[in-house]
Order: sequence, then C-alpha cells, then structure tokens
Amino acid sequence: MKLKGLSKYLYVYKTQIIRCFTYKFEVYGNILMQSIIMITSAFFWRALYRTGNPVAGVDVEGMLTYIIISAMMSVLLITNVERRIENSVQKGTIAMDMMKPLNIFGIYLVEDLGSITALVFQNLLPIFLVGSLLVKVPTICSTEHIPLFAISMLMSFFINWLIAALFGMWSFTAVNVDALIQVKKHLIRLLSGSIIPMWFFPDWFRNILEALPFVYIYQLPLDIYIGKSSGDELAGMMMIQFVWLIILLIAFAYVARRATKKVLVQGG
Amino acid sequence: MNKKMIEVKNLCKDYHIVKKEEGLKGAVKGLFKSEKKTIEAVRHLDFTVDKGEIVGFIGPNGAGKSTTIKMMSGILTPSSGEILINGVDITKHRKEVVQNIGVVFGQRTQLNWDLRLGESFELLRHIYQIDRNEYEETLDVMDEILDIRKIIDKPVRQMSLGQRVKGDLVAAMLHSPDVLFLDEPTIGLDVSSKYALRKFIKEINKVKQTTVILTTHDLGDIEELCERLIIINHGKMMEDGNLVDIVDRIAPYKTLVVQYYDHENIPVHHSCEMIKTEGNMAWYRFMKADITAAALISELSEKKKILDVSIEEAGIDDIIRIAYGQ
Ligand SMILES: Nc1ncnc2c1ncn2[C@@H]1O[C@H](COP(=O)(O)OP(=O)(O)OP(=O)(O)O)[C@@H](O)[C@H]1O
Ligand SMILES: [Mg+2]
Repeated sequence: MKLKGLSKYLYVYKTQIIRCFTYKFEVYGNILMQSIIMITSAFFWRALYRTGNPVAGVDVEGMLTYIIISAMMSVLLITNVERRIENSVQKGTIAMDMMKPLNIFGIYLVEDLGSITALVFQNLLPIFLVGSLLVKVPTICSTEHIPLFAISMLMSFFINWLIAALFGMWSFTAVNVDALIQVKKHLIRLLSGSIIPMWFFPDWFRNILEALPFVYIYQLPLDIYIGKSSGDELAGMMMIQFVWLIILLIAFAYVARRATKKVLVQGG
Repeated sequence: MNKKMIEVKNLCKDYHIVKKEEGLKGAVKGLFKSEKKTIEAVRHLDFTVDKGEIVGFIGPNGAGKSTTIKMMSGILTPSSGEILINGVDITKHRKEVVQNIGVVFGQRTQLNWDLRLGESFELLRHIYQIDRNEYEETLDVMDEILDIRKIIDKPVRQMSLGQRVKGDLVAAMLHSPDVLFLDEPTIGLDVSSKYALRKFIKEINKVKQTTVILTTHDLGDIEELCERLIIINHGKMMEDGNLVDIVDRIAPYKTLVVQYYDHENIPVHHSCEMIKTEGNMAWYRFMKADITAAALISELSEKKKILDVSIEEAGIDDIIRIAYGQ
C-alpha cells in the first residue's frame, strides 16, 4: 500500500527528468556563472595565501577544494518550489495539482529532485570538470568523512528545500514574492559560507551565524569535506543541523496545513 | 432505488479578499495585518445527484458555478457545509475521493505543456495506478468517438483548442471515475468539436453510468445532454428539477407564429398576448390553460386570412431568461 503510493511520486520524478532533458531549460548560464566565481575566487585565495600560512587551520589547497565543492553543491541546492507555488497561485493552475490523488508538496519535492537529477549531468559534471582542470581536483580529506559528508549534505538539502517551500507559501498572503525570493537567495549566498567561509568573520558575527540555519546549508558539509571540523565539535554541529531540520519540518507542516485550506484559485 | 452519488449539504463559500500590497513592504505587512473584504460566492446549497444522472448546472456569470465545482472536486475547502461523493466526505479525505473523480475545466488544462499528449496520459496512468490493459481498452473506446490516437504524439503546446479539450476530456476519464465534473467544456469549440464532445459525454454516461455535472452557457449542451437542471444565481439555489417540469412551471406558454396574406390590420385576440409583428407575420403567446392552439388558429382565421402557422414551445432560453431575471 505504502509502496504503491510511492510509485506514483516516482513516476512524477521520472517525468520531470524527461521534461528537463527534452525541453531545454536555461542551464548554461549557471555553469558560466559558477565557473567565473570558482576561477576568480581561486585567484583571490591564492593571493591571500601568498605567505603560505594556513588561516584557522586551513591551507590554500583546502580553500581551493572548498570553493569547487561549494560550486558543485550549489547545483544540488537549486530549488524551484518557491516559484512553482508562486506561479500556480498566481495563474490558478494550483487547481490542477489539488485535483490529483497526491500530496501537492510531495509533487513539488519530487519535481525538484527530478530537475536536480537532470542538472547533475547538465550542470554539476561540467562545473566539476572546469574546476578540476582550471583550479584543482577537489579530493575529500579522508575516506572516513565520506558518509558524514553524505548525511550532512542530505540534511542540508532538506533544510534548504524547506526554507524555499516556506518562502513559496508566502505567496498565499502576498501579491508578489519575487523580491522576497531574491532576498532569500542572497541571504543564503552570503550567510551560509558558500563564498566566504565564516571563520574569516569576527567571533561575534560568527556566533550570530551559527545561531541561524544558513551555515548548516553550505558551511558544515564543506567543513566536513575539507576536514576543517571533526570529532566532538563536528558531532555538535551536526546535532544543531539536525535540530534545524526538525524545527523547519514542524514549521513547514504547520504552514502547509493552513495554506492548503486557504487555497484560492484565480480565474475560471 | 437509485444510488446517491453526490450529496451537497448546506454548502457555503466565502472568499475573503485580502487587499494585497505590492513589493517587499506589502509582503511583510501582509503577514501581520490585512484589510479583508468578504464575497459570499455560494450560499446554503443543498442537492443530491444519483448515479448515472447528467445534471446541467447553470446560472449567469459570477453565480458561483465554478466555485461549487471546485469545492466538489476537492480543490477548494468549503467555508461550511458538507460534500459527500459516494458517501465519503471530500474535504476530509481528498486524496482518496479524487481517485473517483474526473474534472475538466474548459479554460485550463491538466495536461503538461512540455510533454506529448501520450506522455501526459502515461503520467496520469501511474498517478491513478491504472493497469496497462485497462488503460489501452479505455483509450480504444475514447478513440472511436474522439479520434484521440491521431494526436497522441503531439506536444500539448502545439495543439489547437479543440484538440486540447479532447485531450483533457480523455485525461479526466482515463481512470474511469464514477463522477465527472465539466466546467464550460465546450467554450470556444466549433460545431463539430462540440458535437463530438456531447456524443462522448452521452456515450460514457450510457456505457459506464458515469454521473456528470456540467456547467455551460451553451443552450445546445443542455438541450442535448441534460434531463435535470440546477439553476443558481448569486450563489443561491433558484431551481432544481426536471428540465421539462421547470419549463412547464416557469414558462407554461407556447408561441403561435402566424403568417397572414398581407400586413394590414393584423388582428389581436383577448386570450393571448401579441408579442411581436413583422410585416405579415405575428407572434402570439398563449397559456396552455387559457386556450388551445386549434381554437386560437380558427378564431384568428375568422378575422383575417391566414397563409401559414407554426407553434414554438417555450425553450430553455426562456426559462433561463426568467430565472436569471429574478
Ligand atoms: N479566487 C477568487 N477570489 C475572490 N473572489 C472570487 C474568486 N473566484 C471567484 N470569486 C467570486 O466568486 C463569485 C462566483 O464566481 P464563480 O467563478 O464561481 O462564478 P461562475 O458561476 O463560474 O461564473 P462564470 O459563468 O462567469 O464562469 C464571483 O463573484 C467571483 O467574483
Ligand atoms: Mg465559471
């Protein structure tokens, strides 16, 4: 019964992959942008590390790995759920999602997973190649960190997706959430350690960042990857990441329940 | 005894329109307070539809037809009241109940613009867990009337309106639901597409005993398909009953059209009303209870020489005009 229910979503996922491959969405812009960020920040960090001394225990090689993995992670953290909800609410097509024997957020999640699967080939691999050829091959610090990285990355995906879904549900109360979606995007870029790791910030600012969910999206999995964090410190951070996941899950469940009852269908 | 397929009890829907403000400031403000205005779109509707009925659900623009259809198909949550589909409350068990419902909105599509029609069908086949053999059989039946296999490899974005509506109709029937809701399915279609659509609806109703609720502004649809009418206005029930009974009750008259030899001194008659003259033609509206057509013709022919006569029954357009006018 349960499994049969899942197979419905599996097919939605499959169809989304087909859509992404047959109907070419704009994918090259992101490769270009991520490559530029990778290469320019590689110049920047090499210049900064000219003296050869590690900063906060991270040497230049670690830093270069950090930026390449960060660029690759950004592909896995692309979400469309916020725009999908906004669009469906504005155009009234949410009716078409509501009349199916599926959970609408389940649909949006597997659609995002389908798009990301397609992007692994269209976007993540090219970025990996550009990074490996022009900067360095981003090897993980130790094989023991592979499962830890995978777990942390999985949690980071859901934290990121839930935040996006929550922002998307904002469109039930506000006309135009475009501006908000943009703000969210830049907040995550700047405050998550995706471009500048937080260990370059003063302590007081780092303390604030550690209390927000954003660093658990990029910084923590990256720290695990390059071996910046390990042992008790790492366990503690992953606990906080898990707590954020639970908090966001509860917030999402609450808002989603209220929002689906309030669905309005424009037009018709 | 007939099986109750749809039960609507004391159904109401209010729209709370929130005055939304533009931009970031508006979005943040909207979280905390908002100016609200209430529109009472549906007011205390009560009706029951039996298995195998085709019901015309009509009313003027803004009457609340689409709102009611959306509630009955699980898209909107009622403000109050209850909707049972085959005995199960759709508001409480949406996912289970919609498995037994098909919906077509003439003005939108549930097909995926980026996919070929067949790919959209295949997606639906998985979502509704339809067995492949059953799916092929259903498709064969529908192909006979709608020629659907001809367009099955066409991307939906390249389809004409008529083709798309046919696709949507098939999509709504793939899982053989017991109930089919159609909201203005024939809007914008040409004569032959309308004909095919009506034939299809009649056929599935006959063969599969599908219960159909149909909103339309096309009188032809009603004449061809519906034995029963539900008329609403301003969200309230105006009429619910047999089409013929409603006509007899609201518009219990006929119109006698008389063509005289010439246009001079066209006579009137005390037991009927002359509603129009045009050259040598005159239209007399008479109550069936007041006078028979035969008597009227013979009395008029005594006053002036008649060339030809014909009798028009009161039609749906008359009742609609009267009912909407109230
Ligand atoms: N999303 C919405 N938000 C606010 N008010 C709405 C919304 N949808 C419909 N209404 C209002 O509810 C009332 C009923 O609308 P509805 O669409 O049900 O009418 P209808 O009978 O389908 O009309 P039509 O024949 O024009 O399709 C109208 O006054 C309409 O303005
Ligand atoms: Mg309507």
